[in-house]
Amino acid sequence: MKLLWLLLVIAVILLAIEQLPLMYCYVDKYESQQRSQRIVSLSPNLTEIVFALGLGDRVVGVSSDSDWPAEAKTKSKMGTFWQPNTETIIAAKPDLVVCESFLQHREIAETLKRSGINAISLRVESIEELYNTILSIGQAAGCSDKAELLVANIKNDIDQIRAKASSAKKAKVLWVMETEKLRVAGVKTFINEIIDLAGGQNVIAPTGDQYPSVGTETILTCGAEAIIQSAMGTEDITKQQETAEKFWSRFANLPAVKDKKVYVLEADTVLRLGPRLPDGAMKVAKLLHPELFAQQIDTNGDKIHK
Amino acid sequence: MTDLLTPKRLISKIVLCLAVLVVVMFVCSLVGTQKISLSAVFAGPGDTPGQNTDYDIFVRVRIPRIILAALVGAALAASGVALQAILRNPLAEPYILGISSGAALGVMTAALAGVSWSFLGGSPMAGMAFLFAIGTVWLVWFTGHLAGGSTVTSLLLAGVVINAFFSAVIMLMTSLIDSEQLRSTIMWLMGSIGEKDFPTLFASAIFIIAGIAGLFTISQKLNVLAFGAGEAQSLGVNPRKITLVAFALASFITAVAVGLSGLVGFVGLVVPHSVRLIFGPDHRQLLPTSALLGAAFVVICDTIARTIISPAQLPVGVITAIIGGPVFLILLSRYSKKVGTLR
Repeated sequence: MKLLWLLLVIAVILLAIEQLPLMYCYVDKYESQQRSQRIVSLSPNLTEIVFALGLGDRVVGVSSDSDWPAEAKTKSKMGTFWQPNTETIIAAKPDLVVCESFLQHREIAETLKRSGINAISLRVESIEELYNTILSIGQAAGCSDKAELLVANIKNDIDQIRAKASSAKKAKVLWVMETEKLRVAGVKTFINEIIDLAGGQNVIAPTGDQYPSVGTETILTCGAEAIIQSAMGTEDITKQQETAEKFWSRFANLPAVKDKKVYVLEADTVLRLGPRLPDGAMKVAKLLHPELFAQQIDTNGDKIHK
Repeated sequence: MTDLLTPKRLISKIVLCLAVLVVVMFVCSLVGTQKISLSAVFAGPGDTPGQNTDYDIFVRVRIPRIILAALVGAALAASGVALQAILRNPLAEPYILGISSGAALGVMTAALAGVSWSFLGGSPMAGMAFLFAIGTVWLVWFTGHLAGGSTVTSLLLAGVVINAFFSAVIMLMTSLIDSEQLRSTIMWLMGSIGEKDFPTLFASAIFIIAGIAGLFTISQKLNVLAFGAGEAQSLGVNPRKITLVAFALASFITAVAVGLSGLVGFVGLVVPHSVRLIFGPDHRQLLPTSALLGAAFVVICDTIARTIISPAQLPVGVITAIIGGPVFLILLSRYSKKVGTLR
């Protein structure tokens, strides 16, 4: 009986709380088409998009791993990608914060909104979502025309690569994320999209895990004609290439190893879904079909290590 | 203990700990990655958003965070006291009976199923963590009693086994399905004190304070239970009933804490033992003082976690373990002779 009363009291209190007016919140009134003057970006690929939209001088803060373009490195740091610092962000007085859509970023976006800061959560996990993200940022920052132009340019570049690569026979590709505990890119990733449009075919069958770890047996029988490994960390890429070749030499029967088609690729254009996507796709296309893409000039002048 | 616990002594100790907590919370609210001035804070929010950033930082970032840290600390420390008493095991802590893995399974399920409803203004993660934690605890209690035998041993065994089983299920889930959402969920689970809105904090505070108050009302019986089930029975205390009530309340406040902040480790183990070493084992004072000092402890740890490598932050669990471990060892070597054995 006592317990019943207790529950009743709790229920009443809860109802009262629900009725609490959110008086400590600012009223939501963002004038969205107004040009944002102070922008904060919480992830490296969003930073690239903001800069690609020509908003670089309005950026007042970036996540600590935002390293492209070089100018982004000079901006003040708002904490890491995984744990941004809400205090630092508010102190930077932004009027637009672009975040990703996972839990930690969503929670921060909520807090920022309560402080009257326009924070938008964006999901960038496929090429289509990249286009939508660019358009959303353009709209929020008041430069929709530029955003549409950027999307059209990227689409155009991608289509050209796709059209050219489609004439060749699809190369079987194994995309390796890491070798200590072998993990590869599965089919539900944007990497798979890049492989596909660059004239390749992922040798990994559909998996539940986006980046599944695979056993030696799978590798031995996958028949990969090219192995692409995205570089890890800051170690010199030629060294990583040597390490990779040594590692893969144990699978001497794989066509990719026999034909010496094991490549280490700098990670920032191929693992970061941003405006440099065509560069990344072009790098992959060159590796898979050198005969088709050899004369193509690399837009950034980046070296491809082979 | 030679000196008797009079109401006066009890109240003076509680007031002392409360004062410590208040001072700690006040000082920590002034510490952060940004320098802010209190006079600017008192000037109010201003008319337009973003006009007074000092106010925004103080009221919307630091205060909610400090309140959350205090709530979590109080809940975990009080829960640790209760579980150590009913399990008569100094190694007992809030997560020993499967709450942690239950909560983890809950948030994983929420992340996978894309649950979007909210629970008392909290995120779906929090709601699912809470529900699964409570469900797991019920399962442990149920199987523990089905197994019969000595209440305590079968409870512990059931807890350990269910913990292991759920951990395996979580591993299975992460290897079958993996996404950024899931990875961020694992990060969250490792203990994350963030900024919550005030209605969530208010509701949680009511639950946690009610739970601790409930435990306080049975603290005298927990003292008796500490002598063993047989002795308790002969002193007119029903050990099974007290165990059930204490277990339910402790699990409840732990589940609320886990729903708020993931699994902040070490607090429920170190704080009760430290307080016991200083003040003695009487649960009537151990429970409230542990709750208050546990709150202060987590507030301090979180303040360090959010400032020490600024603008980046550390998970609070790292700091609770790094500070809590050595402090506990020092207390253990200094006081254990004075108090005698732990129990």
